[in-house]
Amino acid sequence: MPAEPALEITGLVVEYDGTTALRGVSLSVAPGEVLALLGPSGSGKSTLLHAVAGFLVPRAGTVRLGGRTVVGDVPSVPPERRDLAVVFQNYALWPHLSAVDTVAYPVRRRGAGRARARAEARELLGLLRIAHLADRRPAELSGGEQQRVGLGRALARRPSLYLFDEPTAHLDTHVRTVFLEELVARQRDSGAAALYATHDAEEALGLADRVALLRDGHLLQVGTPQQVYGEPVDLFAARLTGPASVIDAPAGTGRLLVRPGWARLGGPLEGRLRTVRFRGPHSDHLLDTPLGEVLIREPGPPVHEIGTCTSWALVHGWPIAS
Amino acid sequence: MPAVAPTGARGAATAAIGTVVGALVVLPLLRLLQVLWQESGGDLARVLGSADLGAAARNSVVLASAVTLAAVPIGVATALVLRRPDLPGRAFWRVAVLVPVVVPDFVLGYSWTQAYARAGFTDSTLGLHWAGLLGPVGVWLVLVVNAVPLVYLVAVGGLAARAEPDAERAARVSGASGRTVLVTVTLPLLLPAVAAASVLVFVLTLGTFAIPQVLGAPAGFDTVTTRIYADLSIGGDPASFLEAIALAVLLVLGTAACVAPADALLGPRLRSARPADPQAAQALPGRPAARRVQAAVLAGYLAVTTALPLAALVLASFTRALGVPPTPGNWGLDHFRQVLTPRTAEALGRSVGLAVVAASLLVLLGALVAVRERRRSGRVAGTLITLTLVLPGTTLAVALLITYGRWLSGTLTLILLAYLAKLWAFAHRPIAGALDRLPPDELRAARASGAGALTAVRTVALRPLAPALLGAWLVCFLTALHEVTMSSLLYGPGSETLAVIVLNSQELGRIGPTAALSVLLSLLVAVPASLLWAAVHRLRSRDGGPPALGIPEVARAG
Amino acid sequence: MTESIGEPVGSDRSSGRRGRPALAGVAVLALAACSGDVTASDDDPEPAASLTLYTCLSDESIQPVIEAFETREDGGTVELFRAPTGELNARVAADARSGGLRADVIWGCDPLTVQAFVDQDLVGGWTPPGAEGIPEDLRTEDYVGAHVLYMVVVHRTEVPSPQAWSDLAGGDYDALAVPDPTVAASALGTLGWFAAEPGYGIDFYRDLQGNGAVQVSTPDDVTTGVAQGIYDAGITTANSAYAAKDDGSPVDVVWPEPGAVAIYGPVALATHSADSDVAKSFVAFVVSEEGQSVLGASGAYPSLPGVEGPAVPDGAPVVSPDWAAIGADKDAILGEYQQLFGG
Repeated sequence: MPAEPALEITGLVVEYDGTTALRGVSLSVAPGEVLALLGPSGSGKSTLLHAVAGFLVPRAGTVRLGGRTVVGDVPSVPPERRDLAVVFQNYALWPHLSAVDTVAYPVRRRGAGRARARAEARELLGLLRIAHLADRRPAELSGGEQQRVGLGRALARRPSLYLFDEPTAHLDTHVRTVFLEELVARQRDSGAAALYATHDAEEALGLADRVALLRDGHLLQVGTPQQVYGEPVDLFAARLTGPASVIDAPAGTGRLLVRPGWARLGGPLEGRLRTVRFRGPHSDHLLDTPLGEVLIREPGPPVHEIGTCTSWALVHGWPIAS
Repeated sequence: MPAVAPTGARGAATAAIGTVVGALVVLPLLRLLQVLWQESGGDLARVLGSADLGAAARNSVVLASAVTLAAVPIGVATALVLRRPDLPGRAFWRVAVLVPVVVPDFVLGYSWTQAYARAGFTDSTLGLHWAGLLGPVGVWLVLVVNAVPLVYLVAVGGLAARAEPDAERAARVSGASGRTVLVTVTLPLLLPAVAAASVLVFVLTLGTFAIPQVLGAPAGFDTVTTRIYADLSIGGDPASFLEAIALAVLLVLGTAACVAPADALLGPRLRSARPADPQAAQALPGRPAARRVQAAVLAGYLAVTTALPLAALVLASFTRALGVPPTPGNWGLDHFRQVLTPRTAEALGRSVGLAVVAASLLVLLGALVAVRERRRSGRVAGTLITLTLVLPGTTLAVALLITYGRWLSGTLTLILLAYLAKLWAFAHRPIAGALDRLPPDELRAARASGAGALTAVRTVALRPLAPALLGAWLVCFLTALHEVTMSSLLYGPGSETLAVIVLNSQELGRIGPTAALSVLLSLLVAVPASLLWAAVHRLRSRDGGPPALGIPEVARAG
Repeated sequence: MTESIGEPVGSDRSSGRRGRPALAGVAVLALAACSGDVTASDDDPEPAASLTLYTCLSDESIQPVIEAFETREDGGTVELFRAPTGELNARVAADARSGGLRADVIWGCDPLTVQAFVDQDLVGGWTPPGAEGIPEDLRTEDYVGAHVLYMVVVHRTEVPSPQAWSDLAGGDYDALAVPDPTVAASALGTLGWFAAEPGYGIDFYRDLQGNGAVQVSTPDDVTTGVAQGIYDAGITTANSAYAAKDDGSPVDVVWPEPGAVAIYGPVALATHSADSDVAKSFVAFVVSEEGQSVLGASGAYPSLPGVEGPAVPDGAPVVSPDWAAIGADKDAILGEYQQLFGG
């Protein structure tokens, strides 16, 4: 008997100020699953999260959390009574509370006394390796440390569903990596599901079990990372999920999506090297070809000079409508 | 303020504030003290001992505390209720709440008696009247009603500038009910605004005079300010004058004793170091039933405290005489005709011009001190300028005359200086309550893009502060417009303001022309005010976009 | 990224704000420039003599007097400062402590105030010709009464009319109003007269209080309260009472026995203006028959007998307090009074 999905959204419509932000979105998240919401600015990612969290009331549609309807035929359940937690992009820490009090906040709301809540909070801070910052206020913490406190606060809620609203948007690159590892580890430990909104394709592909692509308020495609990367439904989806070159098919059968790893230097096809960028582990070569522009990724430093004729071969392509 | 301005500019700013504070506040106060010392021969005890101070001083302090304790919660609650986007009739309430500010002090007491006293409106229609209106409770209530809009404006400014958009959402989603969020997150964030409003209302009430005079006298309710007025009214002789000065100085010292420690202790603690966020906190959706109840309570409060007295005022302005029933048969425009003379128009023009200049300068000065409050010099300045707020108008005018009369007696400049001195704290506290810290990175970005220090502040920091600045400007403008005590004392030929006209008609025992003038003034204010409001509204909707997100937020994410 | 600078959005208001300090500065200078002497723009070929007058007389009354004076041969420009007594006192006190009194003539509204000025050597020491026409109890060596305020009874039309002051304590009235002698000199004069009058004394006020009398601030507050209907009757000035009645309020005015209390408003020359001819001619004009008739026509009660003025009922009795005695005993009188009506 399959368990109830951790989150089930049907036909969600959200409007404000005369514009429609979400147009009938439906998706579900299984227990323990991480679903990434990938989309550009204004696509509706945050709106979707806000609707699930209860920060706004949708025009139409239903939201069920773990089988319990929170939006739909019933009066809208307020956020504090929904079994979920949110990690915000701007950290949303409270300036007047220290780290330990911030993490203790959800515990106190569950009815625990001050001492017990703080003890639990300290444990969580220790788990996140910021126990030494327990008595600091947000003003005394770096961005990465603040976001960890935010994560700790969400963990303290012990929900069945986590909502992550672009939590790494304001973090430095290396801090981001560390934070993401932490986040994934904690989430897997807890066994809860997660809805992770981001505009960063690599992030989404890296940590999600499934990826949902959003454009202008509706779902474009839902699938595993491999599916959305390798078999995007259209050009927009292709560009969203990674570097994309679109060329005429050599056989003349329409257009083809070519990812950087799907072509290699050296082969039957002709091209001229336009630019090349050394990225460290690999180099990106941009070729002008009769079929169109192609981006080819080869390990190691660049071997060809700009402007030279370079041959290349197509290993794989995905038919794509323009 | 972060190290955006070079030390030279900062030093110049400190010097500038210091000079203005010295000229407007310190020097006049010192001159008063000097007069007091010299003429009493150092025997202050004798001067003060002759005045039966005990009851009056006690009344003043108790009144000020009681008014603050009532007005601040009501004003804050109103601000919180009115930020709900789903409140029925919200746009209307936001204007209606400010109406008491539009009615001048010297007619407010009168309009309440017209509405609720013996033989007033409720008496003639319902047979009910409130005898206690003419007594301490009446004074307290009318002063509370008068102060609530001020607190409301300060709270709105505080909410707009200091509230984190996601802080309340984070609290809700951490398990806190709406009420718990209010107590644990929203109110603590509002603390600087609440503190600013409390000090303002307390000091203002200490120095208030018109309402206690009109409503308190019949019950023998004396305050220090009515005492001062009595001393100056009856005393051509130096002894009464000296007593008046001594009482005023006592008020100042008492205020300093309360405000200075509060500012010194609380000031730094109240500032959190978060940069001001340009997005206002958007309230979460609530239950429609609760919103309707809130709207109903608000409506009831406004009807009783504002609408009815205002109606009494308007009726008085075109009822032929006092005491005749305000039926259409007794209506006429005589009072307006009497008031709309070329002389009145001139005086009105001067008053309006003066008020506009004063309000604009005041917002500038208030913002300057608020920004400098990071340093001790700013905090000292902030406390000092509160002292001139508590000084009753007559005493402050006398102080300025004694200090600058030799050169500026009878000029509009002196009246302007009087307004600046008196109302500086009016502009400073609300802005201080809203200002947190100017966002450093955004300022640096502006500088790096080629903006000078002032331009950077103007383009980056003004938007979150706009509601507070606007609120401060409005209050200063209206107060300056209605100001009668100081201008009636300081004017000279060619610089008559409205005060001269108003006091003359009042002295002849005619409320009709005074009411007509008040109505005209209100209209005069309502028209540009509504234009300004429309402009701000248009600005906000261009800026903020959809309430829950705001285009800026999404753009930043992208 | 384009959001953070915010120029285009806020620019129309922001540029206004940038201009504001500059604009304000210009405005201040403009204000300073255009205040002060507006009257100097007359086209008199020779420099007009001018004097500065401080008065608490009502606007309606002082303006015609000034106009009449300015057209005279020996006339000159009058720079007027008109304010209620309290503000007037404060202005004089401030002047005295910042370089000296700036008025050439002071026209007060009660003798006590002007006597205090005389005691400080600010005014006095000169009697205008024509002063002998003014009754003796309305003048002294240093100042001459130029107008009179009469303290009378104002009452609602629906209550019985008191014939004598003692009727007020008779019990016909539910609510009475009396003015505050610590605020209004006219009230102090009235108190002083009652205190000295046999048959009345401070006990009169005690009886009033026993009959529900309440103390308000000024005589005008009394008139307002009675006209509104808050009080049935009260003691106020005749000018204020008649103004309300003429407006149409349902009130009536009574000059009770033994007499309405006369509070005279003295005009005095400043000591430092002893050699100002135009100031002297102004004072002389004010107490002359011509000046007094202008005053009378404007609605103030003239002090010169035989000059036409506002209505005085036929045979209306008038009494005058002993100002010197009141001045001397002020504290004692007030002390006793304040035990009744608080302080």
